[in-house]
Amino acid sequence: MRSFLVKAIPIVALAIFILVMLSDNYLKKPITENDDIPGSIEQVLDSVEEEDWENADKNCEILSSAWEKVANRVQFSAEKSEMDSIYQSIARLRGAIQAKDKTNAYIELHETYEHWRNIGG
Amino acid sequence: MNEGLVVLVRSIISFFTLLIFAKVLGKEQISQLTFFDYVLGITIGSIAASLTTDLSSRAWPHWIGLLCWAGLGYLMEWISMKWRYAAKYIEGEPTVIIMNGKILENTLKKMKYRVSDVLVLLRNKEIFDVSEVDFAIIEPNGQLSVLKKPENEPLTAKDMNIKKQKKGISTEIIYDGILFEENLRQLKKDKAWLMKELKKKGISQISEVFLATLNEEGTLYIDKYEDHIQKPLDMGDYKGPY
Repeated sequence: MRSFLVKAIPIVALAIFILVMLSDNYLKKPITENDDIPGSIEQVLDSVEEEDWENADKNCEILSSAWEKVANRVQFSAEKSEMDSIYQSIARLRGAIQAKDKTNAYIELHETYEHWRNIGG
Repeated sequence: MNEGLVVLVRSIISFFTLLIFAKVLGKEQISQLTFFDYVLGITIGSIAASLTTDLSSRAWPHWIGLLCWAGLGYLMEWISMKWRYAAKYIEGEPTVIIMNGKILENTLKKMKYRVSDVLVLLRNKEIFDVSEVDFAIIEPNGQLSVLKKPENEPLTAKDMNIKKQKKGISTEIIYDGILFEENLRQLKKDKAWLMKELKKKGISQISEVFLATLNEEGTLYIDKYEDHIQKPLDMGDYKGPY
């Protein structure tokens, strides 16, 4: 029993560590309805496409709160620079929507998606 | 992102990973490490440190680096255990630098040791005269092993044909006021005997004793909590903060 524990405890500990370190791959994906990053990006894209800036602003806030939730989950395994880039992209997207700048809104949306894709990659 | 919390989690991961890997590697004491073991230890420690605080990259690649270095270290250890030929290259081998009292200059040059280095190592062994040395060997961990000339070896009981009694190892029987009855039983003594011995020293309770050891010869060492020493001897020669 003792020798089993001596071997089992380190193995279980290492397995937990690996799970925590690789969890960003799974935890970045939507778990509830309000944390779907690709879905939210898609919604903002549609609004920008239609030049419905009021709706785009609303959807941008949904994207921002979705990212807050995902960020809390992936912070232990994701790199800080990638996470910071998403925060910056969302902030720039907010500005582009306020300025009703379709080009920049597109750029920021695609960049946000790329950074989200890179998490855990 | 709560950076403090992330560093805390990463610290736990790297600390226990390092602990587990170190146990698996089962390294000898620091003083016995070869130069490569030393470098291996520093590198693994450095990777563990960046795993903890380098938040600009994921923990995973650092952890893989840690695993690879520890794994390769283990592999080298395994190879040198199983294959003596490789061990000679990996671990190095003892090299004779003084033979029959003569310094082997060419060997010293190969080992990149100066004569002054050898003299330092000899002095560390309390040898101040090279003429006392018969053989000197540099071990793979960089330490010097010395065999003195027979006339300079200390006199032993065997030389004098004297029979000395075996002292044996002393065993703790009381520590911090707690009696270890199992240790007492191993030495074929009982509590009544111990109490009698304690009474002889003016001790009525086991809890008065800080440390008591007994050797195979039956010699009892007792240290009480009350030492009756008013002012301990100060070995310092310079005033400090305490």
